[in-house]
Amino acid sequence: MPPRPPQWLDKILEWVCVDHLLEEIQGDLHERYSLRVQQVGQQKAKHLYFREVFSYIRLSNINRPSSTKIFTTPMFTSYFTIAWRNLSKHKLYSAIKIGGFALGIAACLLIMLFIRDELSYDQHYPNKDRIYRVVGLFNDNGEIERDVWFPAPLAGVLKQDYPEVELTGRINPSELFGAGSNQIRRADVQENSYEEGFTYADQSLLDILQVPMVYGERKHALDKPNTIVLSKSKADKYFPNENPVGKLMILNNDEKTPLTVGGVIEDFPANSHLSYDFLITMTGREFWEGEQAAWNNSNYHTYILFKKKIDPAQVQNKLLSILDSYYLPSMKKNGVPDPENILAKASFYLQPVTDIHLKSDGIHDSLTHGDIRFVYIFGAIAAFILVIACINFVNLSTAKSANRAKEVGVRKVVGSLRGNLINQFLAESMLFSFLSFVAGILLALLLLPYFNSLSAKTLTIPWQAWWLLPGIALSAVVIGLLAGFYPALYLSSFKPIDVLKGKLSRGSKSSLTRSVLVVFQFTTSIILIVGTFVIYRQMNYIFHQKIGFDKDQVLLIQGAHTLGDKVKTLKNELLRLPEVKHVSISDYLPVKGTKRNGNGFWIDGRKNIDKDVSAQFWQVDENYLQTMGMKLVAGRNFSPQLASDSQAVIINETMVRKLGLKDPLNQRVFNWKAWNVIGVVEDFHFESLRDSIQPIVLALGNSPSILSVKINAGSDMQQLLQSVNKVWREVAPYQPIRYTFLDESYARMYDDVQRTGRVFSSFAILAIIVACLGLYGLSSFMVEQRSKEIGIRLVLGASVQNIFGLLTLNFVRLVLISFAIAVPIAWYLMQKWLEDFVYRTEVSPGIFLLAGLAALSIAIFTISYQAIRAALTKPVNNLRTE
Amino acid sequence: MRRSDLGEFEEVVLLAVAALTPKAYSVAIAEDLEKATGNTITTGAVHAALQRLEDKGLVNSYMGEATAERGGRRKRLFSVTPAGSRVLHQVRTIRENLWSRILPHALPKVDLAR
Repeated sequence: MPPRPPQWLDKILEWVCVDHLLEEIQGDLHERYSLRVQQVGQQKAKHLYFREVFSYIRLSNINRPSSTKIFTTPMFTSYFTIAWRNLSKHKLYSAIKIGGFALGIAACLLIMLFIRDELSYDQHYPNKDRIYRVVGLFNDNGEIERDVWFPAPLAGVLKQDYPEVELTGRINPSELFGAGSNQIRRADVQENSYEEGFTYADQSLLDILQVPMVYGERKHALDKPNTIVLSKSKADKYFPNENPVGKLMILNNDEKTPLTVGGVIEDFPANSHLSYDFLITMTGREFWEGEQAAWNNSNYHTYILFKKKIDPAQVQNKLLSILDSYYLPSMKKNGVPDPENILAKASFYLQPVTDIHLKSDGIHDSLTHGDIRFVYIFGAIAAFILVIACINFVNLSTAKSANRAKEVGVRKVVGSLRGNLINQFLAESMLFSFLSFVAGILLALLLLPYFNSLSAKTLTIPWQAWWLLPGIALSAVVIGLLAGFYPALYLSSFKPIDVLKGKLSRGSKSSLTRSVLVVFQFTTSIILIVGTFVIYRQMNYIFHQKIGFDKDQVLLIQGAHTLGDKVKTLKNELLRLPEVKHVSISDYLPVKGTKRNGNGFWIDGRKNIDKDVSAQFWQVDENYLQTMGMKLVAGRNFSPQLASDSQAVIINETMVRKLGLKDPLNQRVFNWKAWNVIGVVEDFHFESLRDSIQPIVLALGNSPSILSVKINAGSDMQQLLQSVNKVWREVAPYQPIRYTFLDESYARMYDDVQRTGRVFSSFAILAIIVACLGLYGLSSFMVEQRSKEIGIRLVLGASVQNIFGLLTLNFVRLVLISFAIAVPIAWYLMQKWLEDFVYRTEVSPGIFLLAGLAALSIAIFTISYQAIRAALTKPVNNLRTE
Repeated sequence: MRRSDLGEFEEVVLLAVAALTPKAYSVAIAEDLEKATGNTITTGAVHAALQRLEDKGLVNSYMGEATAERGGRRKRLFSVTPAGSRVLHQVRTIRENLWSRILPHALPKVDLAR
């Protein structure tokens, strides 16, 4: 036995050198070593051996090509032929492998589209880096309120007092002033159309945003009084194939003040935070006398365009002086108690226009926002799905190792080098990867419409982008290599002699990793299942909660304000219909999207003593309470016969509590004048159940745009709608009727909740499928590994049930562990989600139990295919090679 | 093949291959050169030179038999190709030419035994 040189040096050499040179190099080294031991002794020989080994570590020994080439064209085609044969031989297995991967890729692709869209918001303005929106901050005892409603003169003051500012522009999108939705027509036709997307805007806003024009000159589109700018799609609708600039339009039948079209803009892109179709000029407009100079009411969003090379952060601090020089005098004049103290809590923040879409959490600005948190969460989910899909892919590949081991053995004996085998397995994984990408993209295309409705977007795959196809191809290669690397190394490392002798490598070393993977996947699945259950329960709660009014059988006829005085006629005509129980005229309804009017109230006579109670102040008529099915808990309803009732109000219970009224019926409340309280109405929800009920004051008044019609239960809806339509036609011949139902409007308030529910259930299904694929791979791996054991057990008399139990027990344990991990996480997350709602259902243990059972049964179902198959195979098949 | 492509060490290794044929392989050459020069010569250095010589087509190689000291591994044996032989002869001719032209007292005397 020759002396052995230090082994660690040999290992280094084996690791570094190419296979085909290793034999001669190592042989030379060992021979020299034994010579040296004889010549100079072991100690010195070791030293010299070290030098010897490192003298071999040269590039030429690391990458020197073998005389037998690994990459030749016929070999390459052979790799793919073999890969294709393997794929078509195990059809189910290949389908699972490709399908699972494709699912992951599709999900990833869709989420990436979503994120890309979210991040693209408001990037299209030429001056986007200089455009800011003014945000007001109010520190309410540590809780920072953010708000973007400002008084009309703020924009002017900013431009005039701050040399850093180039332009300022305002919009007023408030329904209270007639923005939002309106009836509109060309001046030369009679028929009105109902349109949404109206706002008041300054000429300077167009200049700031550099809105692209189709017709007209941007500089002069809104600079004259009573001008209007249309979006291209609306211009095409009202003025097809003509230039509408200079033409007249009539708003809400107001023929005395027609609007001149000043220009047509390109439609706001979908990824713009502003999206209006009708911009009415603010030039020369004042909603009441002194309104444009008043600092005591806030109805405008204000935008700033800074001059070049200005740091807005520095301007932001200087803005505080506006509070002292403009707000304070106004507050003092209006008798607001302790104005210095209030203003000390206020400050300004300048929000970059590109942040508005994603970073406006908590700002109530009549826009629909994205949320940067969703971008992060979805990004994480995309990465997570892709990683899991890759790991499953690896698992499924190694699971079939037993089948491939013999192939590897034979190939090696015939003369294949390890490099050849690695290439072959990588080629196979590339083929799978490419097929998966193709399937994934097809799947994404198929799911895109569903995903769009889920995310309330109109996403498309940007085929025309130059980077898309190369990008996808590159990802397919990279992922194919990554996912194929481990199986390739693992499978090609089999020793031919062991394999051909029938000794299979056990591969049990990595069983911990596999278990962690299963636990990870099932934990996520269970969390998502619980999430889905909780969200649906909350939905159920929302629709069956006592809300203080009767939302069923109420028809809402909208857009009646154009009728003028004829609205009363309409009401009386409708009451004549046999199905109609009550009719009420009021724009203030207990659902979102109808009119709101916040006022500060005091007990009469205490205005300058107490802090005001902010309450909604609604104009209703005497039939309002009956129509809405609201209950009076004290006092009486309005009576049209009593002239004094024009000074009367009905308040809700919360208002009574907030004002601290002992005997509300004999009190008077004050906002800008005093009102007699004649009744107290039971609390009803008029905003989302997220918020607690706020104080409310109802007074008789004129708000003629919506008629609420309470219908007798059991009426024939179809026929009723026909008769209502007929009545409408008589009263308003030139305006199409527009109606909705109260319960539908109510449901619409919770669209986002429903959407979250659908997102959760989609992800839950996805997570379960991915987890099942992983589990399927693992169970087939395990069955392969233990096939001999199973065979012996069967021979010795084990029953099918025994084998089934043996194979499933381990996985059941893993699912139970996942359950234990998932429960606290899910509980915490759902508790957090429900905290958004003041009125909410609770997370009950039953939900967890149900989710756990669902996960467990899905897991057992998945494993059982392999387990039963293993238990039913004839033992001789597994044991005949012994 | 240009002569300048043959380095000094390569030339020595090529000569050693010629001298040791048919048993010329890394270890034998390294041992031989070590004995002749008195410096430590690693088989790695010899191996590299042999690889270069083979790339230049000056030597051929084939796998020989395995021995116990090599842990049952085969050795790679080298022999000089006609191209190698030509280069060696050219080098030798040039050198001998130069030697023959040195005048008797042109070189300072040295004691070669030392």
